[in-house]
Amino acid sequence: MATEVLWWIFAAAIVVLSAGVVFSRSIIHSAIFLIGSLAGVGAMYIFLQMEFLALVQFLIYGGAVTVLILLALMLTRPDAPGHRQSLNGAQMPFALLVAAGLLVVLFAVITDTTWPGADIDALSEVPLTLVSERLFADFGAPFVIASALLLVALIGAIILARQEEGE
Amino acid sequence: MGAEQAWLLAAIPAGVFFVLAIFGRVLPRGGDYLGVAAILSSFILFFVVAADFLSFYDVDAHQTAITKSIEWSQIGAFELRQGIFVDPITITMFAVITTVALMVNIFSIGYMKGEPRYYWFFAVLQLFVASMLLLVMADNLLLVYISWELVGVCSFLLIGFYWEKRSATEAAKKAFITTRVGDVGLLIGIILLWKATGTFNIQEIIEAAEAGKIGENYLFVSIMFVFLGCMGKSAQVPFHVWLPDAREGPTPVSALTHAATMVVAGVYLTARLLPIFEVADGALLVVTIVGLTTALLTGFIAIAQTDIKKVLAYSTVGQLGFMFVALGTGEPAVGMFHLATHAFFKALLFLGSGSVIHATHHNQEMDKLGGLWKKMPITGTTFFIGSLALAGLPPLAGFWSKDEIFVALDHSWGAWAMILLGFSAVMTAFYTTRLFIRTFMGKPMDQHVHDHTHESGFVMTGPLIFLAILAATAGFVVFHDVGKALGFPGGITEFIFLPGEHPHRYEIDWAFAAASLAMAIVGIFIGAWMYWGNRLDRSTALAEWRPGLYQMIKHKFYFDEMYQAVIDRGVLGFSYVVSWFDRYVVNDTGVDGSAQITGFSGGILKYLQTGRVPNYAMAIALGVVGLAVAGLVVRG
Amino acid sequence: MVPLENYLVLSAIIFSLGVYGVLARRNAILILMSIELMLNAVSLNFIAFAAYLDPTKITGAIFAVFVITVAAAEVGLALAIVIRLFRNRATSNVDEAAIMKW
Repeated sequence: MATEVLWWIFAAAIVVLSAGVVFSRSIIHSAIFLIGSLAGVGAMYIFLQMEFLALVQFLIYGGAVTVLILLALMLTRPDAPGHRQSLNGAQMPFALLVAAGLLVVLFAVITDTTWPGADIDALSEVPLTLVSERLFADFGAPFVIASALLLVALIGAIILARQEEGE
Repeated sequence: MGAEQAWLLAAIPAGVFFVLAIFGRVLPRGGDYLGVAAILSSFILFFVVAADFLSFYDVDAHQTAITKSIEWSQIGAFELRQGIFVDPITITMFAVITTVALMVNIFSIGYMKGEPRYYWFFAVLQLFVASMLLLVMADNLLLVYISWELVGVCSFLLIGFYWEKRSATEAAKKAFITTRVGDVGLLIGIILLWKATGTFNIQEIIEAAEAGKIGENYLFVSIMFVFLGCMGKSAQVPFHVWLPDAREGPTPVSALTHAATMVVAGVYLTARLLPIFEVADGALLVVTIVGLTTALLTGFIAIAQTDIKKVLAYSTVGQLGFMFVALGTGEPAVGMFHLATHAFFKALLFLGSGSVIHATHHNQEMDKLGGLWKKMPITGTTFFIGSLALAGLPPLAGFWSKDEIFVALDHSWGAWAMILLGFSAVMTAFYTTRLFIRTFMGKPMDQHVHDHTHESGFVMTGPLIFLAILAATAGFVVFHDVGKALGFPGGITEFIFLPGEHPHRYEIDWAFAAASLAMAIVGIFIGAWMYWGNRLDRSTALAEWRPGLYQMIKHKFYFDEMYQAVIDRGVLGFSYVVSWFDRYVVNDTGVDGSAQITGFSGGILKYLQTGRVPNYAMAIALGVVGLAVAGLVVRG
Repeated sequence: MVPLENYLVLSAIIFSLGVYGVLARRNAILILMSIELMLNAVSLNFIAFAAYLDPTKITGAIFAVFVITVAAAEVGLALAIVIRLFRNRATSNVDEAAIMKW
């Protein structure tokens, strides 16, 4: 019972923090809300008995990605001092409409479907060895390709971002 | 080496064509010796083939033809075989083609000396001869059609040899397009015959026709379509207009075209298919009437022409008419006989006129010639022999074959045809005399031209002498003893005859011989009486007696003008309507219309491309949501 | 015991918020953050399905690992592009990068 209460608290926090990301006026605040939101999703992984992934989530998202975003924010000065620009584009109302529509559709689908597994009492823990076995044995090729993808992205990012001669 | 290898006759010149066409430019002397060597080897091979064929030939044992064919392609149940068919007609054609082609090749070495594209002339000449040889030995109509068109395209190339001259290209186009009209008929005829019999093989079609497997009217229509092709190729009225214009080509080409290759193709094919003409009721009458009309009409036209080659061209058309009349009597031997003799003396006459033209620096107007005999004794003498052969004076070749035609007419169509053809024969003798007298006799009309004239070299006079001998003696093959001595079963009428008929031995019918002789002498006499000694007053008086008639003959019965008018009014008028439809309906509405619709809608739709990333993202999101909603709605 | 639907609805809400952020906001970095939200919603979905529906409980988790990997690569590249854009046009507003048109 205590778990469920805890779950609801976390869920509410995630929704609030995510809303903060997209609605906040300050982009720095948005970034900080994002860290919270990502951490909340990480907590959800723990509820789902996936400790390893929760760890990955905290490390990569909460650590690396948000730090990267904050660095980019520092480099780009979102608002030129003196005149604040509007946060939202001209199509904001339509965006609201589309997002709401999507939510309605998804909600309808989710509630309309009878999901198996409703009778499960408790989720069993997933051993870390199983994750590694699957990842390195069955998904070996995608794993290698993903590493290549990361390398390519790394090099591409460097080329795109570096100062060119004459600039 | 036997008659089965007769295909080599065509293969050697065809191979030399490719060699000359590709390497002729760099070969010394343009490779003309290769051309002569190719024809010479064909000429020699002809004797081998003929000897082999004659040893095989046996009428009583039904050994009258040698065939050899290979499977060309298999389409479903239909097997297409290509091969050669050698029979007496083919042997005769081989003799004519190889002899004349050899003489023309040798003559050309002298005549074409120093001309541009010398090597190309010899190359196409080889292809011309090769395709004609292939035509006469083809055993099926498909191969006939292919070589038929090859002959046509070669004549196009050679008539338009001097393509820098506008008149030459026009003449080449005229020849090609006019014969093409007939060729369409030939193709339709071939398809019709194939549809009825399921084969292209000529002998099988003939057998089917004789067995009555083809409906009477169907057979008549299809053979008439084939005959249309023959008329176009052999320049029969109303397709005769291209042949006189074909003189724009080099003169040796005219000799070859008129004597051995191009125009006799129609005569050959008619002779080859004569059994079908016999079966198809009325077909022979059509052939006779076409031949008679041509012979008469061109006789008139030739009288009023002053260009040497034009006169000769019209005489060729007329003589082709004689051949068709001969075939119209149902006797292929007579037609082939006249074809052969005519080939020799007409090649002689054309090469002789080429010699004159060459010697007078390209002057071919009679009004500026005259008195050339003394200047050019060999050309003059040989031309004299050729003229008399054409006029039909015994014992020269033309007399015998013409005499045979009258005898054959007597057996078939009777007096009316004989009278009409006799009149044409008189005219032939008349204009031949006129041609000879105005060119070689009397005083020179243009002293300047005369002074610069000289006899041609031996490379040109040699072929003239050889052909003159043939023109004088070729007629004797009609006699049984001469044929026997040459190794044939007998005279030409005992060699070539329709299957199912018996050969008959030629005997001189003195009444006919006398009549033939009389016609020739009357024509010659009138010609001499009018033109002897440079006098033109009598002919001028004749022309002024009925100026309208003279103008009509002078303008060749306005055939060209008539065709021009038909093309102007009919074809161009129709084209105008078609072009209007094309311009306004097809082009403006269809082609341009679709382009304009695309451009217009693009002009409006381009504003959807804002270039702003959020808009694109919105479009994607809208699409996803829209699809999801649609999916839900469909699933219910 | 929290039922599966709860996770799914939570994920749908996060995803929709992300969509709103991508479509409505002008700042390129904020759009990136919104994309991160969407990716997280997807990951959450994967893992919830894995935990509830997959007896081996692992394939969905592997998917989440790859999603995180690709997201990391994507963030790195996208931020490089944003920096590039800022350097060239002195803005990180996507509205002003509008030369991709007729």
